[in-house]
Amino acid sequence: MRLLLLFQVVFGLVLVNPSFGIARPVSYPGGWTLMTMNDGDKNSVHAHYSPSAKTSIGYKFEYWRDKELTLHALQINRLMKRWNRTESQGNFYIKSGVGVAYSDLGVFDNETGASAFTGIAVDWEDRRRFISYENRFTDIDGIDDFFQQSARIGWAPYQGDYGDLHTWLMLQIEHMPEANEEHTVTPLVRFFKDVHLLELGVNNHNKILFNYIFRY
Amino acid sequence: MNKILSTVAILIALSTTAHSAHPGGTIYAGVNGLVCDFCARALEKTFGKEEAVESINVDLDEKTIIVHLNEGHTLDSKIVTQLITDAGYDVRNISYGE
Repeated sequence: MRLLLLFQVVFGLVLVNPSFGIARPVSYPGGWTLMTMNDGDKNSVHAHYSPSAKTSIGYKFEYWRDKELTLHALQINRLMKRWNRTESQGNFYIKSGVGVAYSDLGVFDNETGASAFTGIAVDWEDRRRFISYENRFTDIDGIDDFFQQSARIGWAPYQGDYGDLHTWLMLQIEHMPEANEEHTVTPLVRFFKDVHLLELGVNNHNKILFNYIFRY
Repeated sequence: MNKILSTVAILIALSTTAHSAHPGGTIYAGVNGLVCDFCARALEKTFGKEEAVESINVDLDEKTIIVHLNEGHTLDSKIVTQLITDAGYDVRNISYGE
C-alpha cells in the first residue's frame, strides 16, 4: 500500500513536471562510454563517443525478450541545455537513433524492418539528491511501435570526496502502456567509483535490474 | 658551530618552502555545476590535455579546481574559462597564486 502511494506521488510528479532524467548520455570531450542495461524487459548495450560535451554518437543494441525483438541502431544524444549552479546541475537531452530491427514474435518470422526512435531526458542533481525523467517513442517499420517512460528519484546516504566510493539509493518507476506489466517499480542501489558505475535492483515483479557503465 | 647549524636549518627550511610552491604557478577556479565525480573527471581530462598543466586537483566540497602549471607556461583566464566551458561547466571566479 505504501509502495503504491509512493508510486502515485512520484508518477504524478512525472506527469505534471517533466524535470526528471536518467543518466549522462553525453560524456566529456573525447570521452568513451560503454554501458549495459538489463531489466525485466530487455538487455541492451550502448557504446558512444563524445566529440564535445554537447554531443555523443554511438552504437545501440537492444533485445526485448517478450517481444522477441532485436534492434541495432546508430544513436545520437544531444545536450540541449545545461543549468550549472553552485550546488547543483540540471540537464535536458534529446536522444535519437536509426537502424534496423528484426522480430521472431508470432507471425514475424525473423522479419526485418527499418527502425527509428526519439525521446527526451531531463535530470537534476546535487551531491545528495537526484531526480530524473526520460521517455522514448520507437517505431519499427511493419513490426511494432511503442512508447516508454521512466523516472527516478535518488538519495545519497553520505557525501563522498572525489575518488571515494559513492553510493546512491534510488527508486525507478517505469511506464510502458502496451506491456503486460504496464507499471514497474524498482528500488535499486547505485555504486559509483572512478570510471565504474554499477546499479543493482529488483522490481515489483521480482525481476532483476543490472546496469553497468564504464567511462574512459 | 651553533651559527653553522642555524644557517643550515634556515637553508633547509627555505628549500622546503621553495619545493612546496609550484614553479609554474597555480590557478584557482570556482566552477558551477561541479557536483559529482563524473564532473571532476571531465575537468581533469580537459585540463590534462594542456601542455601547460602539470596537475589538477578538484575539490567537490568547495566546488573549485586547483591547476598547477609547468614551469615556463601560463594559462590566461580566457583560456581557463574556455576549457571549463568546453568541459560543460561554468566559471564562477578565477584567481592566480604561487
